[in-house]
Amino acid sequence: MTGPRELPRRIVVAGDGQLGALAAIALRKSLPGTEVLVIGTPPDPAALADRSPTALPFTNRLHDRLGIEEDRLVREAGASHRLVVRYLGWGGAGHEGVAPYGAVIDPKLKTGFARAWGGGPRNASTEAPPGSLAEVLAGEGWFQPPSGEPNSPLADVDYALRWNVPAYRDLLVREARRLGVQHVRGAIGAAKPNNQGGIAAVALEGVGTFEADLFVDCTGPAATLLSQLPGAVREDWGAALPIRALLFGKPGEPRLDLEDRVAISSVGWLSELSGRDGHQAMVAMVETTTQDAAYAALPAEPGNAVPLDPGCATAPWIGNVVALGDAAAHFEPLAWLNLDLAHRQLALLLELLPGRVPDRRERDEFNRRAGLMASRARDLLSAHYAAPGAAHLGSLARSGELQLGLDQYRRRGRLPFFEEAPLMVQETSALFRALGHPAGEGVLAQAADPREGDAARAGFAAKVQAALAAAPSYGAWLRQVLQS
Amino acid sequence: MNPANSTPVRVVVLGGGTAGWMSAASLARLLGGLVQVELVESEDIGIVGVGEATLPHIRSFVERLGIDEAALMKATHATYKLGIDFRDFGKIGESYIHPFGSSGEDVAGVGFHHYWLELRRQGLADPIGAYSLAVEAALANRFRPPAQDASLASTYGYAYQFDATLFGPFMREFGLGIGVKRTEGKVVEVRQDPESGDVTTLVLEDGREVSGDLFIDCSGFRSILLGQTLGEEWEDWASWLPCDRAAAMPCDHVTEEIEPYTRAIARPAGWQWRIPLQHRIGNGYVFSSAFMSEDEACEFLLRNVEGTPRADPRLLRFRAGRRRHSWSRNVIAVGLASGFLEPLESTSIYLAQMAITYLIELFPLGGQIDARDREEFNRLVDMEYDRVRDFLILHYHATTRDDSGFWNHVRTMQVPDTLAGKLELWRETGRIEKYSDGLFYDASWIAVYLGQGVVPQRYDARVAIPDPARIARAMGSLQEAIRSEVAAMPGHREYLTATRERLAEPL
Repeated sequence: MTGPRELPRRIVVAGDGQLGALAAIALRKSLPGTEVLVIGTPPDPAALADRSPTALPFTNRLHDRLGIEEDRLVREAGASHRLVVRYLGWGGAGHEGVAPYGAVIDPKLKTGFARAWGGGPRNASTEAPPGSLAEVLAGEGWFQPPSGEPNSPLADVDYALRWNVPAYRDLLVREARRLGVQHVRGAIGAAKPNNQGGIAAVALEGVGTFEADLFVDCTGPAATLLSQLPGAVREDWGAALPIRALLFGKPGEPRLDLEDRVAISSVGWLSELSGRDGHQAMVAMVETTTQDAAYAALPAEPGNAVPLDPGCATAPWIGNVVALGDAAAHFEPLAWLNLDLAHRQLALLLELLPGRVPDRRERDEFNRRAGLMASRARDLLSAHYAAPGAAHLGSLARSGELQLGLDQYRRRGRLPFFEEAPLMVQETSALFRALGHPAGEGVLAQAADPREGDAARAGFAAKVQAALAAAPSYGAWLRQVLQS
Repeated sequence: MNPANSTPVRVVVLGGGTAGWMSAASLARLLGGLVQVELVESEDIGIVGVGEATLPHIRSFVERLGIDEAALMKATHATYKLGIDFRDFGKIGESYIHPFGSSGEDVAGVGFHHYWLELRRQGLADPIGAYSLAVEAALANRFRPPAQDASLASTYGYAYQFDATLFGPFMREFGLGIGVKRTEGKVVEVRQDPESGDVTTLVLEDGREVSGDLFIDCSGFRSILLGQTLGEEWEDWASWLPCDRAAAMPCDHVTEEIEPYTRAIARPAGWQWRIPLQHRIGNGYVFSSAFMSEDEACEFLLRNVEGTPRADPRLLRFRAGRRRHSWSRNVIAVGLASGFLEPLESTSIYLAQMAITYLIELFPLGGQIDARDREEFNRLVDMEYDRVRDFLILHYHATTRDDSGFWNHVRTMQVPDTLAGKLELWRETGRIEKYSDGLFYDASWIAVYLGQGVVPQRYDARVAIPDPARIARAMGSLQEAIRSEVAAMPGHREYLTATRERLAEPL
C-alpha cells in the first residue's frame, strides 16, 4: 500500500546556540504536531556557526520562510546590512577589491517556467559588468532594503545581515518558546543506540534520558551525537586550508558601514565586521603565527582564541542523526560561510525531512547534496588562498573542481557552474575579481562590439542615478525604522 | 588581443544539415571577425533532418542570433508547442502530457506532488496534469505566449513544431547572409598533420582542397572526421534504447484545429510521432529492427495515420549512443556525428544547440586549442547526453506493457545504475535526485513518473498535517485559476494565423 510516511513523534536538537535554536524553530514549524526538544549543552567557543555575527543572503530567505522578519532583527537583534566585502591585499600588496552580493538576472529567468525548466546552460562567461550598484551604494552610504517591487531601482541589490549574537539568539529562543519548543539543559553522556545504526535515546547527566525519532546535532565541532556513531568518519581539510587558530577581538566602537573587510597579512588574515553594537575584529592564524604576532595584528582588545582543525563529516546524516553547523563542517570564518552552509544544510533537511524512520535513500541523497555543499564551500575558501597575494600562506591542496574553475577563469574569464555552490556564478566571478585573480578574456568578449560596452556603461550610469535617487542615507533609514 | 590585428581562425564545417548550418551561422554571428567560417556540403548527400519538434531552449538560440521569430515560423511552417502527449507508454489506454512547465506549486516547502499523491489516495485528486496550465491549454488546443513575471501565466514555456528539412535551409540563408562561405562538393579524402594527427585539409571530388584550423564535424551518422578519420570510440546505448529505425511520412490535416503539442504513441516495436505543422501533419514510426522488419513498420505506419499521405514512408537508420569524446584533436562533432538519442523527447536540436553553445564558450583563443578546454567541453557534453539518456530510458522502462517482445525487453532490462538509483529514490520516498544543470529537472521527471504509473510507495510525512479538505480546496482553486487562464487564451490556430508574417505560403 502507498501513503505518507509516519510523522516523527519527537525530535531532539542538541545544542542551543543560534543554530540549534533556528533548527528547532524550522522543525517545529514544519511539523507542528511533533514534539521538539532542545538540549542546551555547554557552549563551545569553537562552534563558529554559533558565534558568527553574520551570514549570507540565503539566510535572509530562510528567515522569511520561518517568519523571522527582518524588521524584528533590526529592532531587537541589532541587525544591520552588508552590501559588499572589501578584500585588501589578496591581489598583492596594495590591491583592493570589492565583492558584492546578488546578480543581475534577466527577467526571463525569473518566470515560473524558468524556475522549473532552468534558463539554459549555467556556465556563463563572466565578463565584468560595467559596475556594481552595491559598491556605489556602499561607497555613498545610501541604502534601504529593496521593497520587493520587481522593477524598483534597488531590486537587483542583495545583501547579508549582521547582528548581535546574544540578542539574535534570545530572539530565536523567544520565538522557539512561543512555538512550543521544549528546552532542557545538561551535558550529553553516552547515547543509547537503536537497532538501525542510529540513536534511541540520549542521557543527560543528572537530568534524565530522552528518546526521539530524529536527533539533530548542533553541538559544534565536538559533534557530541554524530561522533558516537560507529560510521562517523571525518575528512581532514588541513591540506587545503591553512588556518589553525582564531583570535577574536572584543567588540569595539559601533560602526555603521555597508561594507566589511578582510585583509591578508603575514600572520594569516584579519576580518573586520561593522556593526551597530560594536565593530568586531578577528585574526586568523596560520600554523607558524605566534601569539605576539596575532595580538599585534589585531586592531582591538584581545578576547578569546580558539584552535582550528578544519574538516567535515563525510556523511553528516547517519542513522537518525543529522549533524549541522560545525558538527558537520568546521572551517575558518572566511567570507562568513559557516552559518550560511549550516543554514543551507538545514534547508536541505527541511526539503528531505524524514518520517519517523528515516529512509536510507533519502539519507543518501541528503549526504550527497550536503557533501557537495561542503566541498564547494571549502573550494570557495581555497579560492581565497589561491589569490596572488596569499602565496605566502603556503602551498595548499586544491580540488579538481577548483583547479578547473581557476584555470578557466585565468585563461578565459569563465567560471563553470557547479551544483550546490555557495554563490551564484556571477557572485563568484565578482569575488574572484576582488581577490585579484587575473582574469582572462573570453572569446565572446573579444568578439563583442565595443559599442555594446558603451551602451552597458550608459545603462549602468542611469541605474546608479535612479538607485541613488530612491535610497535614503543608510543612517537616516535606520533611525526612522528604530523610531517608528 | 585585438581581433582586428589577428588572423581569423579558419573554421571548416563539414555537412550542410541542421547541425551544420546551426553551427556555421552561430560561429559567424557570435564570433564575428575572430573566425572565417566555410561550410562544405554536397547536394548529392541527403540530410536526415531530425527534430521536427523542438524544446523551448531553441527560442534563446533564435533570439541570440537575432533571428526574427515570425520569419523562422513562416519558413519552417511552424506551429507552437506546449509539450508532448505520451499515449500508451505506461499502459495501453493511458496517456499524459509532459508539459513545458510544471504542475502546481510547493506548499510550505513540500513539493506539490506529495499533496497530490495524498489526495489521490483519498480519491480527491484529478490527474496531475489537471494542475498544469501548459497541459490544460494544450488539451484545449489554445495558445498564447507566457507572461514574463512570476504569475500563474508564467509557469509554461513554448517551442516550435516545424519542418526540420526546412530549418536547415533557413539557417543556411541566414548563415550565407552573415558571411559564411559555402562550398559545394563531396569529400573524398581527409588529410591530417603527420605529427599532431590534426585534420588539416578536406579534399573534394573535383580536387579542390579546403583547409582550416578547426573542423566542425556535422556529417551526420557517418561522422567522417571524428569517427572515420580520428577513430573516436563509439559508446553504444542500443541495449537500453533499442529503437534503430524510423519510417517518416507526412499527411494532410484532418481537423480544423491544430494541436499545440506533439503526440508520441507507444507501438508494438517502438512509438509513433504525430507533429502538426501549419499545412500538414508529420508522422513517423520509430522502431527496433530487432522486433519488427522495415516493411512491416512501413505498413504499420500507413495503417495508423490519419489524413491522406502526402508521400511514401521514408526510412531512416540510426543507433543510440555517443562518441566517447565529442571533441578530439581539432575536430568537434555537433549533432549526429557526435551522438544520437532518439527523438522521443525532441532533444536532437537541443543537443546540437548545447554543443554549439559550449563550443563558443570554450572556443580556442587565437585558434590555439588548449587540452583543458577540450576536456571541459567533453565533460559538459557527456553530462548533457547522460542525463537525457537516463530520462529517455525511463519512458520505456516504466511500463507494465507485456504485449510484445519489444516491451517485454525494455520493461525487464537492467537500466544504468544512475537511473536505477533515481528510480529507487522516487519509488521509496517520492523524491527526485536533484540537479540544476543540463536538461529535464524535477518537473519533467515527476510528469513522466506519474504519467507512466510509477507511484511512490511512501511520500512526505508532512502532507498528513493539514486538513485534507483544505488542501483539496486549495487545489480546486488552482484548477479554477487554470481554467480561467485557459478560457482567456485564443485557440492555437487563431493565435497562429492572427499574424500573417508567421504564415507559410499555402502548399
